[in-house]
Amino acid sequence: MAAIELNGVTKRFEDDEGLFDSLLPSSEPDTVTAVDDLSFSVAEGEVFGFLGPNGAGKSTTINMLLDFVRPTGGSVRVLGHDAQAESVAVRRRTGVLPEGYEVYDRLTGREHVEFAIESKEADDDPDELLSRVGLAPDEADRRAGGYSKGMSQRLALAMALAGSPDLLVLDEPSSGLDPAGAREMRDIVRAEADRGATVFFSSHVLAQVEAVCDRVGIMRDGRLIAEDTIEGLRDRVDAEATLRIDVDGDADLDAVRALDGVSSVETDGDRLVVGCTDDAKTRVIEAVEVGGATVADFETDSASLEDIFLAYTEGDDPADESEVAA
Amino acid sequence: MTLESVARKDFRDALRSRWLLGLTLFFALLIGGSTALFYGVLLSGSGANSETLFGLTTAPGGLFNFSYAGMLGFVLALIALVTAHGSLIDERESGTIKLLLSLPNSRRDVVFGKLVGRTLVVLVSMLVGFVVALFAMLFTGGQVMFVSYAGQVALSGLLAAAFVSIGVWLSATSASQRQALFGTVGLYFIFAVLWSTVATGVPRLVNWVVEQLGLTALTAPQIVQMRLFIKYLNPLRAYETLVAELYGPAVAARLFKAGLAERLTVQSAFSESLPFYFSGPFILAILLAWIVVPPLLGYWAFEKADL
Repeated sequence: MAAIELNGVTKRFEDDEGLFDSLLPSSEPDTVTAVDDLSFSVAEGEVFGFLGPNGAGKSTTINMLLDFVRPTGGSVRVLGHDAQAESVAVRRRTGVLPEGYEVYDRLTGREHVEFAIESKEADDDPDELLSRVGLAPDEADRRAGGYSKGMSQRLALAMALAGSPDLLVLDEPSSGLDPAGAREMRDIVRAEADRGATVFFSSHVLAQVEAVCDRVGIMRDGRLIAEDTIEGLRDRVDAEATLRIDVDGDADLDAVRALDGVSSVETDGDRLVVGCTDDAKTRVIEAVEVGGATVADFETDSASLEDIFLAYTEGDDPADESEVAA
Repeated sequence: MTLESVARKDFRDALRSRWLLGLTLFFALLIGGSTALFYGVLLSGSGANSETLFGLTTAPGGLFNFSYAGMLGFVLALIALVTAHGSLIDERESGTIKLLLSLPNSRRDVVFGKLVGRTLVVLVSMLVGFVVALFAMLFTGGQVMFVSYAGQVALSGLLAAAFVSIGVWLSATSASQRQALFGTVGLYFIFAVLWSTVATGVPRLVNWVVEQLGLTALTAPQIVQMRLFIKYLNPLRAYETLVAELYGPAVAARLFKAGLAERLTVQSAFSESLPFYFSGPFILAILLAWIVVPPLLGYWAFEKADL
C-alpha cells in the first residue's frame, strides 16, 4: 500500500475574504491554480524529497495531505485513509512539521510536547523527545514565546516525533536551523526511516534531499515535472560534467571540440577545461592522447543535484551553470 | 478526549496571560464591590434582603426602571465577546492553529474545545464575583434569598455562555482579526443599542405594509406583543426578564420596562393567561438557543475553510 497517493489533484484558490466580503456583490473572482492535476505516490518506508522553487505548490500539496486545505478536484489518500474525510485518522499516525506555524507563546517547550503526546494518546517521555531534537532541559522549561526560529523548529519536530508516527511530513524542516542543526535534522530523518517510517519532506536545501532521500519529485507551477531517484534524475538531465585535464604538449583542441557530447573547451595554461556529458569523458581523454599530447592528470566534477534542480526549475542550460561553477 | 485537551490548553493559556486573573478581579470588584457598597454603606443596618439590589426596581407608574441584571448583562456580554472573539482567528493569523491541527485534533474539537475553554474562563471569574457578593451580603447583614440568588447566578452563567458562543462564531467565520473585531463591536452595538429600535420599528413597518395592501391593520395588543416578542429574542433582554421572574410574577417580568400605555394594552390579556411564547420556559429556550446555534454555525464555516 502506498503511504501517500495523489490522483489528479487540483487546487484553485479563490480570493475569498470571508463572511463580510461574501455579503458584498462580488466582482470577478480572482482564481489562482496552485496545484494542477497532480498525481504521484510515495511507497511505505520511502524517504521522498519534494523539491521546487517558492510558489511551485509544495506547501499547498502538503496542506492537502493534512486537510488544512481542500482540493478542488481529485483524490488524496494518506496511509490508506481519505485525507479529507478521515483526516484525524491520518494525523493520528502522522508526525507533522508544518510550514508557517507559530508556537504558543505562553506554553513551555515541555508543555508543547506533552500536549502532542496527549493528543496522540501516546506514552512517550517528553524529556526523551526534547533531548532527541537537542533542546536542553532548561530551554524546555522556558516559555516558547522566547524561542529563536531554530529552537521553535526543534520543538515542532519533537512534537512531530511524538507517538512514533508511521509517516513524517516535514515542510521545509531545515529552515531556521544552523548547519549543525540541519545535520541533526538529517540524522533524525534517517533514524526515523530506519525505524520503518515513511518520510515526506519538502525542501529547497538540496544537499538535505540528496543526502537522505530515496526518491525526489520536483514541482514547478503546480505540476510535478520530474519524479525519480537522484541517480535517475542525473541520467535524465544528461547533466554536464566538467573535466579538467593537465596536459603535457599541445592538445588538438579542434578534435576535442568535434567530439559528440562536448559543449565547451577552454585552456587555462597547461590545463584544459572541457564541458561534456558524463559518457563523453573517456572519449575526450582518448582524443587528447591521440592528438599527440600526454595526459598528466585529470579530475572531473559531475553535476550536483543543485545543477539538475536549477535545470528543471528555471529551464536553464545546465552547461551555463557548470561553467559558472567551474 | 482531544476536545478536552484543546479546552484545557486554552484555559491554561488564559491563566498564563493573566486574563483570567484580570477578569476575576474585575468581577470581584464589580459584583462583590457594588454589593458591599449597597448593603454595607447605602442600606447599612436596614435588614434589606438580596432582592433589594438584585430584583427589580420599578417606581410607581413605571416612571423609573432599574435592574441590576440589566446592567450586569451589558458588562457580561461585552466581557464574553472580548474573551471569545479572537479564539480561532488569533490562532489562524499567528499560525499556531497549524500546530494544533497537525495533531489528531479535528476541527470540531478545536471549535468546541475553544468554546468550552473560553466559557470556563468567563464563568469562573464571574462566579468568584458572585461568591464575593454573597459574602458581602452575609457580613453586612443583608438577608440572602438563596434560591433566587442561585437562579440569578445560573442565568448570568447562561448569558455569559451565549455571548462566548457568539464570539466563537464570529471568530470562526472571520477571515482576519480586524474583521472579527469589527464584527464584535457591531454585534454588541446591535444587541445593546439597536435592538429596541428594531423591536419598535418592525411592528410599525408590518402595520404599514398591511395597510398598504388594504388588509386589516394590526390591533394595538398585536403590535405590543410583536414588539415584546422581538425584544425577547435578544439574549440580553431574555436574561433580564428571566431574572425578573425570579423575584416576581411572570407577567410583571415580561412587562418590566414596558411603557405605561403598553402595559395597559396587554396587561389584562396577559394576566388571564400568558401566551406560551412569553412563558418562562420559552424565553429560557431562546437563551439556550443562543448558546447552541452560533457555535454550530461557526463550526460549519470553519469546517469548510482553507486555513
